[in-house]
Amino acid sequence: MSAVRVLLEHHARLHRGALVPLAVGLALFEWMMTFVAGQPSVSRFLGEALRAAPPQFLALLNQDLLVGVSVRGIVGVGYAHPFALIMMAVWAVRVPCAVLAGEIGRGTMDIVASRPVARSSQVAAAAAALLAGLTVLAGAAWLGTLVGLTLRPLEGVSALRYLPVAAALWLTFACFGMVAILVSALSREAGTAIAWISGLLAGSYVLDYVARVWPRIASLRPASLFMYYEPQQVVSVGLARHDLGVQAAVGAAALLAAFVVFARRDL
Amino acid sequence: MEAQPIEARALGKRYGAVVALKDLSLDVTAGEVFGFLGPNGAGKTTTIRILLGLIRPDGGEVRVLGRAPGGRGVAARAGIGFLPGDMAFWPSLSGAETLDFLARLAGRPATARERLLERLGLGAAELARHVRTYSDGMKQKLGLVQALQCEPRLALLDEPTKGLDPLVQQTFYEIVADLKAGGATVFLSSHVLPEVERVCDRVAMLRAGSVVSFGDVESLRRAERRRVIADFGADVDAASLAHFGDLVVAKPRHVELLVAQAALPALVARLGMLPLADVAIERPTLEEAFLEHYR
Repeated sequence: MSAVRVLLEHHARLHRGALVPLAVGLALFEWMMTFVAGQPSVSRFLGEALRAAPPQFLALLNQDLLVGVSVRGIVGVGYAHPFALIMMAVWAVRVPCAVLAGEIGRGTMDIVASRPVARSSQVAAAAAALLAGLTVLAGAAWLGTLVGLTLRPLEGVSALRYLPVAAALWLTFACFGMVAILVSALSREAGTAIAWISGLLAGSYVLDYVARVWPRIASLRPASLFMYYEPQQVVSVGLARHDLGVQAAVGAAALLAAFVVFARRDL
Repeated sequence: MEAQPIEARALGKRYGAVVALKDLSLDVTAGEVFGFLGPNGAGKTTTIRILLGLIRPDGGEVRVLGRAPGGRGVAARAGIGFLPGDMAFWPSLSGAETLDFLARLAGRPATARERLLERLGLGAAELARHVRTYSDGMKQKLGLVQALQCEPRLALLDEPTKGLDPLVQQTFYEIVADLKAGGATVFLSSHVLPEVERVCDRVAMLRAGSVVSFGDVESLRRAERRRVIADFGADVDAASLAHFGDLVVAKPRHVELLVAQAALPALVARLGMLPLADVAIERPTLEEAFLEHYR
C-alpha cells in the first residue's frame, strides 16, 4: 500500500470530525437559499433592498445587481456569501496547516518521517486530503441546492446551473489550499501557518472589495484570488476560462514550490 | 555482505551561531549495542536526527544501513526503528490505531508487536483507549512498541527508559538483549550511566558536539584513574604520595588518591614501606569516567 494512501487515511481519521459539520452546514445553507429565493416577499424585499443599497455594499456581496435581484441570482448569492466562503476556508486552512506544520510542531512528524516515507509523499497526501475535503464540501453545497430546488422547484431555475458555480468555489479554495500547503511546508508550528494563510485570505478578500469600490487601486485587483471567483457571472454565462486558468496556475505553482521547499528543509 | 549500520565521518551542524556538532565521526557495527552518552545539548539528538534524515548536516558524510539518509535513502528507513527522546503521539487516536498506522507506514509486518505488548504490560483495554488518556510511562511503552514492532535491523533509541518504572526498565534491558541476540543493532542514547554500562558493548561520549571518548565500556573504565584509599597505623606524610597522582584526601592516617593504572605498581610498593593498616583500590564506574570527561 502506498505511503500516500496510508497518510491520506490517517488525515481523514484525524479531520473527518470537522468535515461533517462543515458539509452539513454548507448543505443546509444552500438549501435555505433556495427556500429564501422561493419566497416572493423575500425576493421582492431583497430586490428593493439591493436597488436601494449603495454600490459599495453590492461590491461587498460580490453581486451583479441584475442577476442578484432575480430568483436565480438569490440562489447564486449562497455561493458568494461569507458564510459559504468561511466554511470552505476553514478546511482550506485547517488541513494543510495541520498535516505539515502541525505535525512538526506537535513532534509527531519525527516518527512519521523516520519511516520509509518520502517527503514528496507527505506533501502529496496533504494535497489529496485538502482536495478530497473540498470536493465533499462543494458537493454538499450543490447537494443543498439540488435538494432545495427538487423539493420546491423555482420557475426557470435548474440545479444543474449551479454545478459550475460549485466547481468554481472548489477551485478557488483548492488554490488557496495549495498556497496554505506551501506556507505550512515553510513553517514549524500550525499556529504560525494558520496566522499567515488566514491573513492572506482576509487580505485577498479585502483587496478584492476595496479595489472594486476605489478606482485608484483597481489595478491591484488581479492580485486578489477572489477576483477570479465570480459566482453570479458563472450563473449567467458559465465558467470563465481565464479565471480557471489563473487559479489552476497559482495552485499548481504553490504545490510545486511546496514539494521543493519541504524536500529540502530540516524537520 | 551486510551494510554497516552506521558510518559517520566529520559531521558538522550549526544552528545559527550555535555549533551543535563538530567533526563527529562514528562507526557502529552490526549486532552491537552502542551507547551514546553526553550531557544535555551535547549533540546526541542532533546526531540521531541526521542519521534519520530529519535534518541535514552542514558538512561530512553519513550512511545508515549502507545508504545516505534522506532522498534516495528513504527505502533504508524500512529497516530502522526509532524512539524519539520526546515521544509525541496523536491524542485522538487509540494506542492500537497508532501502532497500526505506524506499522503500515513502515511497510513491514508488525511481527513483534504482540510479544512486546505482553512483555511491557500493555493490554487490549489500554490499547483501545485514546492516547490522550495515557500516563507518561504508558506513552513511553507505546513508543518502544512502535519502534520495535516491525523487528528493525537498526533500533535508534533516544532516552528509552525515560518515565519507565524499575520493573519495566528491567524488561527493557531484556528486550535489548533479545534484539542483540537476534542480530539487530541498537544505538542507544542515554543519561542513565549504569544502564549504558549494563547493556552496551561500546560507548561514545559526546561533549559540545564532538566525541571525546570512544571504545568498549571495559576499556573506557580501564583508561580512567583508580581511586586508591589507604589507612595507616601511624601518621605519614601524605604529601610524599602526591607524585603518584591527585591527592583527594590527605590526612596523617587516611589518604585517598586518583592514580593512573600504570602508576599503580609503584604506588603499591611505596605504600608497603609505610605503616599500612588497610588499602582499597576501586575501579571507576562508567559514571566516574563520564564525570571525569565533563568536569
